[in-house]
Formats: sequence, C-alpha cells, structure tokens
Amino acid sequence: MVEDLFQATIVISVLAATIRIATPILLTALGETVAQRSGVYNMGLEGTMLMGAFAAFIGTYQTGSQGAGVLAGAAMGALMSTIFAFMVITLRIEQIVTGLALNLLGAGLSTFWLRTAFAEQSVTPTIAFMGAAPIPYLEGIPWLGPILFRQGLLTYLAFLAVPLVWFFLFRTRFGLELRCIGENPKALDTKGLSVQGRRYAAVIFGGAMAGLGGAFLTVGSSARFVPDMTAGRGWLALVIVIAGVWRPGYVLTAALFFSFLDALQLQIQGIGINLPHQILLALPYIVAILSLALMRQNAKAPAMLGTPYIRDR
Amino acid sequence: MTPDVMSAAALVDRRRGWRIERRADPSAVGWLVALLLAALGAFILSGLLLATAGASPLDAFSNLAKGGFGSGRALANTAVKATPLIFTGLATALAFRARLWNIGAEGQVFAGAIAAYACTHALDAAPALLQMPLILVAAMIGGALFGGLAGVLKTHFKVDEVISTVMLNYIIAFGLSMLLLKGPWSEAGGFFEQTAKVAVNAELPILIDKTRLHLGFVIALVTAGLMQVVLAHTPFGYEVRAAGSNLRALAFQGTNTTRLVLLVMATSGALAALAGVSEVYGVHHRLHAAAIVGYGYTGIVIAILGRLQPLGVVAAAILFGGLVNGSTLMQIKTGVPSTLIYAIQAIILICYLVAWAAASFRIRRPGRTTPSGEIGRAGHG
Repeated sequence: MVEDLFQATIVISVLAATIRIATPILLTALGETVAQRSGVYNMGLEGTMLMGAFAAFIGTYQTGSQGAGVLAGAAMGALMSTIFAFMVITLRIEQIVTGLALNLLGAGLSTFWLRTAFAEQSVTPTIAFMGAAPIPYLEGIPWLGPILFRQGLLTYLAFLAVPLVWFFLFRTRFGLELRCIGENPKALDTKGLSVQGRRYAAVIFGGAMAGLGGAFLTVGSSARFVPDMTAGRGWLALVIVIAGVWRPGYVLTAALFFSFLDALQLQIQGIGINLPHQILLALPYIVAILSLALMRQNAKAPAMLGTPYIRDR
Repeated sequence: MTPDVMSAAALVDRRRGWRIERRADPSAVGWLVALLLAALGAFILSGLLLATAGASPLDAFSNLAKGGFGSGRALANTAVKATPLIFTGLATALAFRARLWNIGAEGQVFAGAIAAYACTHALDAAPALLQMPLILVAAMIGGALFGGLAGVLKTHFKVDEVISTVMLNYIIAFGLSMLLLKGPWSEAGGFFEQTAKVAVNAELPILIDKTRLHLGFVIALVTAGLMQVVLAHTPFGYEVRAAGSNLRALAFQGTNTTRLVLLVMATSGALAALAGVSEVYGVHHRLHAAAIVGYGYTGIVIAILGRLQPLGVVAAAILFGGLVNGSTLMQIKTGVPSTLIYAIQAIILICYLVAWAAASFRIRRPGRTTPSGEIGRAGHG
C-alpha cells in the first residue's frame, strides 16, 4: 500500500491538494505578517476567519453571487480587526486578551446567527461554491498544469499575494515605514508621521486577508457553513508567521509545508493505511510545536511586537 | 535629552492644552463605574443581538435570569454549572497573575479527566473513600504534567506559551477521541464516542436531594479560598505576583525563574484538571468530550472578569453558570437558541475590557504642573 503513494496520479493529487489547502492559511498568514511587522500581534485570527467564512456564506446565500460573498468575507474580516485595532491601538488593552475575546466573539456570533437565520429549516441550506478556474494553455503543462493551474480564483489570489506583500513591505515607502513602526515607532513619530494610523491600516489589512481566508473555507471550497469550521487554521497561520520569520517567501514555504502534511493525511486516509486517523489529524499541531521548538528564533521578531506605542515614553 | 530640549517639549505640550493620558490602574471608583458601564453595554448589545434574531430581548433576558437564579433549585444547578468554571478560572488567573499566558486550561481539563479515568476505571468496587482521593490526585498530576509540558517548551525550547498551549489543546482532543472511538475505553457495544458509566463509588456525592449539586462545588470553593491565602501569604504567592510585575527583577533578586515558570504552569494545569473531575465524576458520570469541552476557554473570560482574584473568579463563575443554566429555560420559552450565551459571554468580556481601559484614562487640564512621576523620570533622563 505504501508504494501506492508514489504513483504519478497520486503524487499529483497530493501536491494539487497541498496548493488548495494552503490557500486559507496563506492568505491569513500574509495579512498577519503585515500586522505583526507594524508591531501588533493579532491573536484573534481564528475568530476573524470564522466570521469571514460566515459572512461569505451568508453573502453568497442572500445575493446568489460568489463575488459578493467573497467581498462580504473580506469586509467582515476588516470589521472584526477594526474592533481589535480600536481596543489594542487606541485603548491599549492587552493584545493577547483582546485577541482571545475576538475569537470567542467570532465563535459565538457565527453559531448564534447560523441557528437563528435558518431556524425554520431542518437542514442548513447550501450554496454553490466556486469551482476550479483552469488557466488556458498553462493547465496543459504536464505535472505543473494539474498541480498549479487548475485551482480556484482565491488560490491564485493567495499565491499572487506573496510577491505583492513582499514588494509592499520591502520595496515601497509605506512598507518601510510600517516595518520601522514595528522596530522603532518613535523614529516615525518624530518625523510627524502617524504611528497609530499606520498600525490601524496594517491590522485592518490583516483582518481583511483573514476574512478572505475564511471566505475560501465556505464560498471557495464548501457548500455549507459549519460552526467552528476553521478548526485551528487561524492559530496555524500564527505559527506560520513565526516559522516564516515575518518574511513572505518563508511564510509561503511554511504554509506549503503544513498544507502538505494535511494533504498527505487525507491521501493516507483515502487509501486505507491502517493508522488511527486522529494521529494524522493531530500531526500539523504536533509538527507546529516541534518546528517552533527547533527554530528558537524569536530574536527575529519585530522589536515592538505586542507593545502599544505611547508618545511620552 | 538636554534640559533645554526637555522644557521645549513641555512647552509644546502645554500649548496643546487638554491631554488624555492613561494611568497604570484605574481607581476603585473607576473600576466600579467600569463594571456598571460594561454591564450596561453588554445588556444593550446583547439586546440588539436578540433583536437581529427577531426575539424580544426583555422576554429572553427575564427567562435567562429566572432559569439561572429564580429559585432554590435553579441556584443549585447554577452552582453545578459554575463549578468547572471556578476551576478553569482559578487556573487561568494563577498563570495570568504571573504573566504566563496559559490558554491551555482547555487541554489541561482533558488531561485531568483522562488521567483520573486511566487510574481508576479498573477499581469498580473499591470503596468511595479510596477512589475519591485517587481520582483527585491522578487528575491533578495529569493536568500538572500537561501544563508543565507547555512550561518546559517555554523555558527550555523558547516556544511561546500561547501557541504551544493552543496546539496542545487540539492535540489532546484528538488523543481523547483516539481512546474513545473504537479505542480501548469505548463503551462495549456502544456507538458513541464515550466510555461506559463510572462505578457508583466513584461518583461525587450529591449534596442536596432533587438537585444535581455535588461535592465538586464545595471543593471548588475551598480551592478558591486556599488560592487566596497562598497568593497573599506565602513565598510562592509573592513570587507569582512579583513575576507578574517584573520577571527580570525577580531573577536578579535570586529567584530561580525557570523553576517558577514550571511550577506556575504545573499548578495551573492541576487546578484546571479538577474541572475534568467535577464534570466526569460529578455530572456526566462517564468520560466523553462533550462533558468537558469549552470550560477552558470560558475560564479565561472568568479569570479576567474576576480581576485575576480567586474570589472574583468565584463571583464571575457563578454569574456565567447562571447564564448557562438559564439559557435552557430561555430556549424552551422563547425559542432563542441557547448558543446565544456564548456570544453574550464574548460581548460581556469585550465591554468589560473597553470600560476598564476607558476608566483608566484621565483628562489632564492645561496649565497644571506635571505630575511627580514625570518629574522623576525627567530627572533621571
């Protein structure tokens, strides 16, 4: 049975699944990379993704348009992180506690609204989710075509966002200012540039990306919304940001690594290798701890990560 | 900074006039006002939430209150619901006091329940006097080891405890599922992911007839009292509080901070584990995930609302226990799904955090002299 895993079709399907599964965590982790570069640690990603997934589902259900659903997901993510930003940047509430509060809010609101929105129906309704959008010509390339170019639109967007976020952070003036805020906010403040404003922008962008990540889970790949369907992906995105040392390229590598584990686990279950499936399901979380333990490189974190900026100090 | 620059900066400040600044901690009056504002805000927001569901807020709230606190029996059952929350609230409060962000009470509850069941499920007929202590000790050891694991990951491998405890929460939930779903502990002939019923001698005794109030509630109150004493009057309590304000200063003073981190994480885990005991042996009388899930995360809210004080934790846990208990009556009478309370809990927490932060701001009028703290800092600078 193990040799089954090395057949070409299976290898291709595992790798294609890796790319697909990477989509939500990659989107979320890229957004969080920007937020953390500005010095804000948003631990509310799990709840933000969940609300994004829910809004995308409801948006698609109400309008019948998948595009509107995706926008609703991103907007909801932005809204959630605006609440977060107000609490931690303006009111300077502890970032960890606020993040947890946001997670609870996301879980509570999405479950409650799901129950009340469809109280009359006995089964939760479904939506038509986005299918694959093969790219002409490229999809015909052997191996690469089926792996990379027969994915959904949100997947292309996620992978396109990697160089875009890199370019923004490392090649634009605003990106430089943002990274500066994460290391030495006073320098920017003395130039008369707004630290708080830029942090707001970074956090809200991060929230919108997490909302998109959530939208992929419903409109992007599944017909229904299930309570707590993010199942730890928001937390994995945080791990990926740390493992990816706050650089988009490495974040991509880490996201692919974790989604490869997940894809492999699905395949192993599929061909019936006799291993308790719970071990496979727990694998990403075990590997997350191990990889952080082996890396020990918190020194590369932005110096001001988690610290509110107070002008007089 | 040279003195000239300092005074120039002060001048600029004075010209700007009114200023808002934040104190380290709100005053006692500020805290009370914050609590009231938070309650009001949570009330209004939850009411709006109910309105989005097309329900009458007043109807829902009155049933919620009646179901939670309306009769002696309701109170007893509220105490039952509050019991695990007291344990997880205390566990979280202890860790947070030392500024260790243990989000792992959830997993530590699982660890405690698993350890207790592992050690005692073979002791069917053994007398209760033997089983009871064994269950408590086994659970606490299980929780301590699981909490300690996150501690070791922090002290020896530099893994942030927030991330590691969350990951461990997921891992142990899968671990329990492995033991229960066609696993060694599955109920013989059962379809569900659960164990058989525990022996009658292993059940925590019921305290008041015709209610579900069990011994666990008393253990929870005693634990809270003990923790109050330990925090206020022992060297360990002093170190926990000192670690919360400045871990490095504590290290310079000669305290072994690695040992302290491990001790706090292990103790926190042991406290959380007792919630597993109260639910498995006091309420459900069998081990399954539904019996123990969620208390860890709610415990975080409880700890924060209780200002990380043991007695505050008890008060907050009873309030939330009442919400959980009352939500059943609310669902029956008004049709509002009982899941509402999870949203309400989050809303209460957010309102509290915002009100608390707002209460710690103060407005300084222009032209006043600088407060002494700033003069001190300027002198040193």
